[in-house]
Amino acid sequence: MALPLAERIATVARRHPENPALFWQGRAVSYRDLLAMSRAAEKSIAALRVPEGIPVAAVAAKSPETIAVLLACMRTARPVLVPSADVGDKALRRLLADTGALVLPDPRTLTTGTAEAAVAARPAAARVPDGTALILTTSGSTGFPKAVPLPAAAVGAFAEWSAATFGIRVGTSVLSYAPLNFDLSLLDVWTTLSHGGQVALVEQERAAHPSHLLALLQQCPVHVVQGVPMLFQLLAAAEKQARGDEFASVAEVLATGDSLSPAGLAALPRLFPGARMRNVYGCTETNDTFVHEIDPAGDPGRYGAVPIGRPVEGVSSDIVAEDGTVVAGPGRGELIVTSPFQTSGYLDPAQHAAAFVGHPDGVTPGPYYRTGDVVTRHPDGVLTLDGRSDFMVKVRGIRINTAAVEGALRSHPEVADAVVLALPDERTGKRLHAVVHRAAGSLLNSLRLREHVAAELPRAGIPSGIEFVDAPLPRTATGKIDRRTVANSL
Amino acid sequence: MSRIDAIKHHLVEEYQLGVRPAEPADDYDLLHNGVIDSLALLTLVSRLESEYALAIDAMDVLPDSFRTAASIDPFVASAVPTAKVG
Repeated sequence: MALPLAERIATVARRHPENPALFWQGRAVSYRDLLAMSRAAEKSIAALRVPEGIPVAAVAAKSPETIAVLLACMRTARPVLVPSADVGDKALRRLLADTGALVLPDPRTLTTGTAEAAVAARPAAARVPDGTALILTTSGSTGFPKAVPLPAAAVGAFAEWSAATFGIRVGTSVLSYAPLNFDLSLLDVWTTLSHGGQVALVEQERAAHPSHLLALLQQCPVHVVQGVPMLFQLLAAAEKQARGDEFASVAEVLATGDSLSPAGLAALPRLFPGARMRNVYGCTETNDTFVHEIDPAGDPGRYGAVPIGRPVEGVSSDIVAEDGTVVAGPGRGELIVTSPFQTSGYLDPAQHAAAFVGHPDGVTPGPYYRTGDVVTRHPDGVLTLDGRSDFMVKVRGIRINTAAVEGALRSHPEVADAVVLALPDERTGKRLHAVVHRAAGSLLNSLRLREHVAAELPRAGIPSGIEFVDAPLPRTATGKIDRRTVANSL
Repeated sequence: MSRIDAIKHHLVEEYQLGVRPAEPADDYDLLHNGVIDSLALLTLVSRLESEYALAIDAMDVLPDSFRTAASIDPFVASAVPTAKVG
């Protein structure tokens, strides 16, 4: 029994076989061709004789073949784990152990029917719940990536909601910038394919090259662009080399994944003069849950940050104060959310119990996901994001949000980027160590940077160590600073 | 090396400021800019004690005396030297 999402894609392929489904390396792949590749992959996977209900893992970079393999899994209701293509051995082993998944052969051999029909090794018992469609993974920027199983019903509901909200239908062209393991791909790839649009695939290896992005947009004009703030910075940087019409077709812009800086916000209306722009808040565990219509003239305005807006239909949320009570009116605390697009939960019972909780009132049905994001509710009900609760550290007994320290460092005109780590310190509990990427040619030193941040931060928030680097900070595939790599390099 | 230069040298090394010892201005605010905190102050005092053979009464240590290299200098000058033993 194919999953509803796969049924929808098959229906599109029947009605519009010649329509482009994907755009990849200068050519379009029609719905007919995508379905043919997917059928070939189905046969190859069947020949592996993986016991029913056992998940498989597609460890591969984004390509039409990889998408065809994922579609083949959905057509046969086989749960499929999608780790990052460059997942480390250790992290992969852990994900496979958590899910009980078997690694599939390379998608290119699966879709051409040349995969060895070896009998798969006997796996451990399946560890994902019945009805799981995709198993995405968290970015792992603060630890090992976690498997996030998404029920078919959640993926289907998300596709319907997002297609209606962002106007994705037959003929709509959508940029796919994020890797397939990232929740942004649910919209970019799966909403688009199930509604008859075309997905313009960015090559993962060249995702950071502005010239690649421009060439893709010139060959395949897109209507919908969803990206993390880093993508918009790249596009703004590429604008100088642009022909000028690359972004003219864009009608919908979704900024997501991180808070939008004032500079990032200011770049948007210039880049996409004709587009409707929305700030979308969500995470892999719940998918999109809040949407804010960006007002280039008014934002961030009196809130000091671009709001995350209001919950989408079917989403319930609350703010929980540090003492565990629900914040009723204006105030600040951790955001908890439950959504129709939510995961069935982490596979590790301890991790699950820590993140998925009942409503504090003991009555309202959940489970609610503890987002780890600290938000402020303003007197008019608008929510803004303050930072991650796990970026809250105590330095000399004072609560410091390292994200706010990073913000203060980045606001210096000669700072290109900055990351702040809280290192254990026997004297003060934690001490803050900043690694600062200086702007090209800058001779900024620690003395002057200290003066700058001292004007913005409480004393305890001034890093005790400031280290300068003249190369960009390492980032994960999804554009977040790779804190583990930075920490390991100290 | 003058005493104020020696003090700056110590500050730059101890707190890994990543600049040449001459770079901090005499009136660079060490407290406000988070170079030293109240705990680091005590370490600094004991370093000065051994460096300049001073006996500093903890009661005399007011953070303001350690706000800048320029204020540390007279503080050291006015501290009573310990009697040299044997």
